[in-house]
Amino acid sequence: MKAEKTAHRVNWTGQAPLITLIVLCVATALLTSRFLSPLNLTNILVQSSIMAVIAMGMTFVIVGGGFDLSVGSTVALSGCIAGMAMLKFGIFAGVVAGIAAGAVVGFANGLVVAMLRVNPFIATLGSMVLVRGVVYIITGGAPVSGEDGLPSAFIAFGSARVFGIHYLVWVPALLLGALSALLYLTPYGRRVYATGGNKEAAYLSGVNVQRVIASTYIWCGALAGVAGVMLAARLQSGQPTAGEFYELTAIAAVVLGGASLQGGEGTLYKSVIGVFIMIVLGNGLNLLNVDSYWQRVAVGAVIVAAAAADRLRSRN
Amino acid sequence: MLKFRTLALVGAMLLPASLLLASAPVRAEDKITIGVSLPQDDNPFYIGMLKGIRARAGELGWDVATVSSNEDKLKQINGVQDLVAKGVKGILISPIDAVGVNAAYDAAAAAKIPIVSLARGSTSPNQTIHVAMDEVQVGRDIAEWTANKLGGKGKVAMLLGPSGAPTFRNLAQGYNEVMAKYPDIQIVFKSDGPLTRERGLKNTEDALVANPDLKAIYAANDDLALGAMQAVLAANRNGQTIVTGMNGVPPALRAVKEGNIAMTVELNPVLWGRLGVDVLATFLKGDKVEPRVFIKHVVIDSSNVEEVLAKMAPPKS
Repeated sequence: MKAEKTAHRVNWTGQAPLITLIVLCVATALLTSRFLSPLNLTNILVQSSIMAVIAMGMTFVIVGGGFDLSVGSTVALSGCIAGMAMLKFGIFAGVVAGIAAGAVVGFANGLVVAMLRVNPFIATLGSMVLVRGVVYIITGGAPVSGEDGLPSAFIAFGSARVFGIHYLVWVPALLLGALSALLYLTPYGRRVYATGGNKEAAYLSGVNVQRVIASTYIWCGALAGVAGVMLAARLQSGQPTAGEFYELTAIAAVVLGGASLQGGEGTLYKSVIGVFIMIVLGNGLNLLNVDSYWQRVAVGAVIVAAAAADRLRSRN
Repeated sequence: MLKFRTLALVGAMLLPASLLLASAPVRAEDKITIGVSLPQDDNPFYIGMLKGIRARAGELGWDVATVSSNEDKLKQINGVQDLVAKGVKGILISPIDAVGVNAAYDAAAAAKIPIVSLARGSTSPNQTIHVAMDEVQVGRDIAEWTANKLGGKGKVAMLLGPSGAPTFRNLAQGYNEVMAKYPDIQIVFKSDGPLTRERGLKNTEDALVANPDLKAIYAANDDLALGAMQAVLAANRNGQTIVTGMNGVPPALRAVKEGNIAMTVELNPVLWGRLGVDVLATFLKGDKVEPRVFIKHVVIDSSNVEEVLAKMAPPKS
């Protein structure tokens, strides 16, 4: 609806995330020649990869009108389960078990939010704490790396490259293509946007809104599972404390990418741009040797500004 | 109104970049810069360590670039990558986990930058040097002191550190080793988790409910000990249940002076930071350095706490 209304104008505000990112990159590049070095550019891609996968899952939930605070705990759960399964049954089983664990958490969140109609903020706040507890129980609080470490092929997945690009970067790149097709080209995708935009209207036009909402949580959980497996490879171990506060970074990135917390609006690739903004800002501040206390102030200010920009845009 | 909105939007888009511009320091590029990555930037121990690093680096005419991680392993890896991209000459790191941040060591090694672990160590083959405390020995010293104080009998609770960190495993190993020699000392309570005052308080409350006749509490660091102390005071067990700490941070030293914490081990973080810089300097000069360098530790109790506090007082920077 919104797209139709503004189609005849140059919709530059829709490109705000991209413009922000470009301006940020140009400014950083002007301040330090190191920014554009091939090493640093690869670093930025790798550093963004895991959060990009989480943010894509979060986009599903937010477009569907929901919210998911449990992704950080899910990342830890999936990483630890993947590690444990891998040590017993091999890499493939580990990866599958890790992603499945994420999907199960998503399914449970979906049930509670869509069927029991619990406010998503509270429901996922609960599962965030609960899942973290489960992680500590199954691991006994200790990192999962076995006697001789996780399989070396799996650890290589966390640092090796194919066609010059890290495996960790290929994952979000391929997922972005596939999930964008799902969300923009299929009837299912249209139902997600319709449900998030106006639940009543979607229901009246025959959409099974409960099922659609539940499905967005399953996507979010499964993608957090993928991220958990990637993180386990990166950290060469399943880490029960991993992923703390990732939910907040993911939500901030999705909002930076122009999604509306009211639902019905949001774009996968723009959420990824939102992740890039957060990572490039952190990277630039590190390269420029900015005090870590000030880094927190800067990141917080950017999040507030993004949310404010979201409100300004939606009133246009 | 539309104009205001447009302006505000443009402002929001420019904000990240302008924050960078505003914060960009002006400096000479020809100085040697070393990178520092510590697990926390709001913990007195690491604040002290960074102070020592900055002071010693300043004396050598070096610049220090820090990246923060706040106990997030991925963030520590990313920060070290940023330091490598920045072109630092050497890196001082206190790894959050012995395995979890090995990718940070790999990043430094790939760029042929020496990476020295301070305090906590890593299993990575790419760790250049580890400036460590003799953890097992510290654990033994604490246990020996406690056993003496208890006259060789009584119930003891142990508040351990995060289970992944080898430092705290080694401390506990030394402690248990000595306590095993005393048949009348029983370890009745054990818990692991984060090194916070809050946890020290809660766990001690629980331990005291379960064992009202608890004689001693081993706390893996001073923050835990300060929390344990609060619980002991609240239960009116002061003097009957002794608390031991580890690290020698100023609030714990004051508590030793007031008799609320029985003993702690001073691992002067400022000296640790200075030693780290010196070790790195020696290595960069091309001289041989052992892969493991030990820092001295001192047992502090009521007999010598005044001295230590007096020594700390003058150089207030």
